[in-house]
Amino acid sequence: MNQRRQFIVSLTALSLCPWQSANATPSEAMQAMQAIVGKSPVNTGRVYFELPPLVESGNLVSIKFSVDSPMTPTSYVRAIHIISEANPSPNVVSCYFTPLSGKAEASTRIRLADSQRVWALAQMSDGSFWRTSVDTVVTLSACTEMV
Amino acid sequence: MIKRQLAHLGVLCFVFVLAIPSYADQRQSTTALMTPSNQAMQKDINLNPALFWIMDGETLWGDRSNPAGKACVDCHQDVKQSMKGVAATFPKRVQGKLLNLEGQINQCRTSRQQAPAFAYESKPLLALSTLIAYQSRGLPIAASTDPAVEPDYKKGQSVYFQRIGQLNLSCAQCHDDRAGLKLASSTIPQGHPTAYPIYRIEWQGVGSLQRRLRNCVSAVRAEQYAYGSAELTALELYLMRRANGMQIESPGVRP
Amino acid sequence: MSRSSRAVVTMPKTAKKGEVFSIRAIVQHDMESGFRHTEQGVRVPRDIIRSFICTYNGNEVFKADLHSGVGSNPLFIFYAKADQSGTFEFKWQGDNNYLTIVNQAITVS
Repeated sequence: MNQRRQFIVSLTALSLCPWQSANATPSEAMQAMQAIVGKSPVNTGRVYFELPPLVESGNLVSIKFSVDSPMTPTSYVRAIHIISEANPSPNVVSCYFTPLSGKAEASTRIRLADSQRVWALAQMSDGSFWRTSVDTVVTLSACTEMV
Repeated sequence: MIKRQLAHLGVLCFVFVLAIPSYADQRQSTTALMTPSNQAMQKDINLNPALFWIMDGETLWGDRSNPAGKACVDCHQDVKQSMKGVAATFPKRVQGKLLNLEGQINQCRTSRQQAPAFAYESKPLLALSTLIAYQSRGLPIAASTDPAVEPDYKKGQSVYFQRIGQLNLSCAQCHDDRAGLKLASSTIPQGHPTAYPIYRIEWQGVGSLQRRLRNCVSAVRAEQYAYGSAELTALELYLMRRANGMQIESPGVRP
Repeated sequence: MSRSSRAVVTMPKTAKKGEVFSIRAIVQHDMESGFRHTEQGVRVPRDIIRSFICTYNGNEVFKADLHSGVGSNPLFIFYAKADQSGTFEFKWQGDNNYLTIVNQAITVS
């Protein structure tokens, strides 16, 4: 009986290994967010995240994100983290704000390896976390270069 | 009564005049096909990644480290003045040879600076051609109408209409006959050289028109024409004539 | 010996006290992700900018931690609140001793 169980377990282990994806998976993205959030709950919403739904080239994608906040020393946005579900590495960029920012908004340009969901996770000065996500389709131009 | 009829006639004429633009230029720059964020990236030079190539070009413009000890600035002075509108006129015949902008830069390089020509797609050549092309931004393409270039124009035209490669396609079949239709998820552009050199996001860098043309040739699985070849330079001339009068947007941003 | 490259900052030269204005900072850098391979299958090592910090008279205004997913020639558009006249410092640091610093003054009335 034990031998059979061992055999089945080892078979399952074998089948999982060779197909480990080279890119991040949704669960790795969740882990990356977990590492930032720790034990605190994460609320959905409040973050404005602009990412084109259709991307012509994943090498340079313009994004914008913000959280409406008075940005006073007692109530401001500490950080907004951009997390990818399908890039080789889930952490893309983290932006940190202070009351001197005046506005918790930033724009930058990122790489997207594939069609995927991208998360914007905001950390507030009161310790709360808020997040939102955008799904996007990443294409390649029709006539790609053969060097 | 007559006043009212005249007023109606006036309105009709006004509406007719408004309708006239539909008969005007059907030509469209590829910029119109891009997403708004990529268009913004191109338009505002401070957001355009090619800005750094322009700045490298500005540095090279004053560089005297060549055997003749001469910098571009020594003959041409302020690039903004001397190079204004220049890129819009290339390719053209210079001393009996059809030259594009890169060819002209190299001609100065070898004859005035006594230095070896820059290789195509090399940093210095891209920097200088981007700098010079930028001085034509907003100006209309003024392709050469010199009678001496007619044989080159005809050659370029035949290259444009020639079916080539394993896919046996000519430029015309996509960019004349099927412009506006889809190829995979991309809209086929008319293919006007209004924005070269371009920062192509796929290349993650700036490249010349000839690089882009060679892309197309390899995409139909044909052997690529060499950089600076007579075929490519003649094709450039044909494309510039085809786009004559269109506004230059260099340096462009493309996906 | 640190490596450096061009950086272009666009921001107003003057502002009213309390005014919130936008700043654009773009720096020349290939941002080699470290996930690309040569035709021989050899991985091209990572060479990216790791951090960008903007301070205003020494006080932090905006900071970013950059990872491989940030695109070439990184651009940041962000905001600052005009407080008093002084200097903004923009610092980019990265792999292989990369360091670029740009300063820009502002007059606040």
